[in-house]
Amino acid sequence: MAGSGDAHLRDPGAFDDVVLRVENLVQEFPAGGTVGRLAGRRAVVHAVSDVSLDVRRGETLGVVGESGCGKSTTARAIVQMPRPTSGRVLLGPGTDDEVDLAATGGSALREVRPRLQMIFQDPISSLNPRRSVRDIVGEGLAVWSSASDGPHQEARVDEVLRAVGIDPAVAATRRAHQFSGGQCQRISIARAVVLDPEVLICDEPVSALDVSVQAQILNLLEDMKDRYGLTLVFISHDLSVVRNVSDRVAVMYLGKLCEVGDADAIYERPAHPYTRALLASAPEPAPSVDPSEAAVGDEVPSPIDPPSGCRFRTRCPRAVERCAVEEPVLRAVGDDHHVACHFPSLWPSS
Amino acid sequence: MSATPSPSGPVGPLLSVRDLGVTFRTPDGDVRAVDGVSFDLAEGRTLGIVGESGSGKSVTAKALMNLLPSYADVEGTITFDGRDVRALATARERHFWGVELTMVFQDPMTSLNPVKRIGEQIAECLRVHLGRSRRDASAAALDLLERVGIPEPRKRLRQYPHELSGGLRQRVVIAMALACGPRLLIADEPTTALDVTVQKHILDLLDDLRRERGMSMVLITHDLGVVKGRADDVMVMYGGRTMEHAASGPLFTAMRHPYTSALLETIPRIDAAAHARLVPIAGRPPNPSELGPWCPFAPRCGSRVEACTVEAPPLVDDGTGHRSACFAPLGAGEA
Repeated sequence: MAGSGDAHLRDPGAFDDVVLRVENLVQEFPAGGTVGRLAGRRAVVHAVSDVSLDVRRGETLGVVGESGCGKSTTARAIVQMPRPTSGRVLLGPGTDDEVDLAATGGSALREVRPRLQMIFQDPISSLNPRRSVRDIVGEGLAVWSSASDGPHQEARVDEVLRAVGIDPAVAATRRAHQFSGGQCQRISIARAVVLDPEVLICDEPVSALDVSVQAQILNLLEDMKDRYGLTLVFISHDLSVVRNVSDRVAVMYLGKLCEVGDADAIYERPAHPYTRALLASAPEPAPSVDPSEAAVGDEVPSPIDPPSGCRFRTRCPRAVERCAVEEPVLRAVGDDHHVACHFPSLWPSS
Repeated sequence: MSATPSPSGPVGPLLSVRDLGVTFRTPDGDVRAVDGVSFDLAEGRTLGIVGESGSGKSVTAKALMNLLPSYADVEGTITFDGRDVRALATARERHFWGVELTMVFQDPMTSLNPVKRIGEQIAECLRVHLGRSRRDASAAALDLLERVGIPEPRKRLRQYPHELSGGLRQRVVIAMALACGPRLLIADEPTTALDVTVQKHILDLLDDLRRERGMSMVLITHDLGVVKGRADDVMVMYGGRTMEHAASGPLFTAMRHPYTSALLETIPRIDAAAHARLVPIAGRPPNPSELGPWCPFAPRCGSRVEACTVEAPPLVDDGTGHRSACFAPLGAGEA
């Protein structure tokens, strides 16, 4: 996999409701040390290499992959924390409000931030331990509204807190450590939603929660999506969770996209050998794959020196010489179903 | 396998735990982490212990391994092949842990010594516990690495833990746990820190090794999916108590306890439709300091009756070895 390309991006002419569009995103970090013999090149971690994505209004894009695949780095690069090495991150592409976050800085970037909010994996460490929960949720509004908005702001904070199931009166007096993990994640959601963002990026929002609490938060995200018209980018390593929340799914491996498309297509007609291996490895494998397809090697190559050609080839049961030489480019194999593989599983057209 | 508590059977169980209780004495008061846990495990079988954080599953494992800190009060009896494990006193007797009973932990990085080579660490088990010579132990370490599916084992022997991936490290930890030929292996969330494609390989490996050596295994996990199809018996814990304990088949198809059923229903399914509404469990897992002599699941339970908040229901065997602790068990109406 490991494909580049943008065949999966939707034509702005045909779809005027794309709210976020990421083009050729690259994120590299200096690794310290060098690669190769003698002085060599300076070592670089290729965390995300030429990834393009788009999300339509009201859609949930699930990004799934194992640790080190670059899914969280992609999420962070979108919100410019830190800035990507190259590529464009367009908010409201094609509209009068179009902004390329990667080319914006200083106060201009700050002004765009309310349009793009994020919730994180660890709900407790992402809340300031020294402030009341109500202050945390109201902070964004206080920063962005004029002083005369006071009463309106208060009402808005109450409304959002109630929507996530936190009593505003309790929130006024308590701090994050007085709430459980699940409640803290509700508070994080309220903090993000209170600014009425166009896009909400969720980075493993339920991974730190107990299984009996996960469903509450996933249902809450769906409710908030309906209520406030949110668009979600949902990052997770859990295939079942991504299946539940996503309209569209992007599968990543070692900084590249393997397969992108309609969620039903990806889960019911997976084409990329890596997607198939993931689906076969789940404790209860997906019915669309054979459990034996989980037999890929354990060893993920280093992102400092990723394999040539297709980055999955070192573990891929279908790899041939061509895969080492020629990087597969994302191409359509069905309606809104794109795969970056020279030898994808093809399904009778449905 | 036979019904679980069958001490009178022709062959006694390998492991027998009775009324295990663990209380941590903390500056903020006593915390009852495990309360009245009893179970048997026969030779060659796998018991899955499933629970969320705070359910007492890992504390139970540590009590079996004698790894609890000094501020933990342990009650009850643990019998292994007829021996009272808690009475093992002399240094020689205490080789029991590490030889007959061993454990694999969740995080392979912290269970390995970062400044010792892999080979030395595995050989150390054999030298300390079995008194094998350096040369003997190294040769055995190489065999073990091969057996747990580590490529280029000779090279790995000379490497340090940081040079290995998470999956390989966990294989090394498994090799160490197997070094002295244990009769029972406790695996506490052995794959939780690993990626999903690696998880399956590690679980399959544990299964193969267990079968090949006729070993028993306790597989502890928060994920019901992990024990499904792998464990012979499953014990579901919540708030330090056993909620349900049965052979794997009946537990998944004819569960009696409302918590087991709620847990199964709340998990998103990989084969469900997108945006399928999930069935949440209200509330949150109990804080151990809020536990009392009532059913720990009562505050979140849809089948709660008055008695549930007064006293904890006893763990009752229905005669087939299927045990559940509930005053209003599922399926009771039809029975």
